[in-house]
Amino acid sequence: MTGVIVVEKPDLRGKRLSFALAEDRVAHYPEFRDFFVRAFDLDRKGLTEPGFVQAPSGLGYALIFLGRSGEPFPSGVEVHAIVDALEPVAEETLDRDLYAILRWMIAGVGAPWTTEDFDRTGRLYRIPAAPPA
Amino acid sequence: MELSLENTLPEAIRALWTYRPRYANVNGWRMHYIDEGEGDPVVLLHGNPTWGLLYREMVSLLVRSGRRVVVPDMIGFGLSEKPTREHAHSLDGHAANLTALMRQLDLTRIMLVCHDWGGPTGLSFAMANPARVRALTVMSTWAWPLPPAEFHTRIFPWRMMHAPLIGPYLLGKHRALAGRGVYLSVVDREKFGRSAQAVYEATLPDPASRLLTWVWPRWIPLDENARALERFQWLERELSQCKLPTLIIWGREDEVFDAATFSRRFKKILPHAEGPFLVTGRHFLQEDSGPEIADLIRHFLNRLDQGERSQ
Repeated sequence: MTGVIVVEKPDLRGKRLSFALAEDRVAHYPEFRDFFVRAFDLDRKGLTEPGFVQAPSGLGYALIFLGRSGEPFPSGVEVHAIVDALEPVAEETLDRDLYAILRWMIAGVGAPWTTEDFDRTGRLYRIPAAPPA
Repeated sequence: MELSLENTLPEAIRALWTYRPRYANVNGWRMHYIDEGEGDPVVLLHGNPTWGLLYREMVSLLVRSGRRVVVPDMIGFGLSEKPTREHAHSLDGHAANLTALMRQLDLTRIMLVCHDWGGPTGLSFAMANPARVRALTVMSTWAWPLPPAEFHTRIFPWRMMHAPLIGPYLLGKHRALAGRGVYLSVVDREKFGRSAQAVYEATLPDPASRLLTWVWPRWIPLDENARALERFQWLERELSQCKLPTLIIWGREDEVFDAATFSRRFKKILPHAEGPFLVTGRHFLQEDSGPEIADLIRHFLNRLDQGERSQ
């Protein structure tokens, strides 16, 4: 269980997209791009809209996919938290949510990538959101 | 007080890094380097995620032995400009950056000291500009396409660290490599934590400034589809024809490029090389054995000088 679910486009009135993370080479390991294509039906949707997920905190996140000439789509992705327009982000909440979203990604990519190895790596580098062994 | 780049460096950096900062425009980027002493040049090249600081104990020892010491910070690290786009970085581009500096300083008779990514970039420069290079030192690095180090084939922790989105999170937002990563790759961790770790972290203060820490690992060839495969094939081919005097120094405790595999492969490609000389050290062996490494280089260069004088 990762506590992250794909959701329909939320109501963005009164909200802003708060930049959280960017990846320029989502296909460095091609299985990661394949995962996003599956999870958000990107072969059909392309650039028409972002993908949206809800994280364990209840906060929504937009995954904005990027194209690059000469490379299969998507070539990159940005993760944005959907927050109240004029409010700062709660950084600890954001960090825990990002960890959960990455864990959900790893679970979706599948073997040989495992959430156990992700958590071990997080613990090795003392990432606060990594669960204890 | 007059405001300058030198006196605006954080105090912790200036305390450990007392050399005069110099800057050059190379290949479109602003590169920081130091240039100390007189004599035949020794150029000290670092890798990921370090900078000239890695050689702080060696610079003065080599200068006192009658050498000119040049230490550039790779574009993206240390006090050099840090591009914020991944596609600003490539192996060939970094070799070209170094080439630009060596030509601007018009250095010849260079002893090129290569560590980590300083190997592929520095040795590419050397093979393309042999008239400028007198000798080589290689330490915990590589110069061939495949197979990768066993460490680099593992998902935990290495491939996971720089996987898509995870690299920007672990190494960017959380400075996993620039902080704890170096700490884990030295022998005397207590000393490193007390004396230098904060300074390495201070030179890569923000997620965007740490971009190259997860971009460089993605350039290490893992299979036949690697981006830099042809460059590494060329490099190994050129090196195997190279007759430059070479010194091989390795960390006895190196867990990234283990001595048994990697120093021996250099010895096989460059059978005339001296060494491998093993010193106390994991991957960042300069942190544990800087003075000893400086001594090995100093004696090696003295032998080269004597050999030339007797001819």
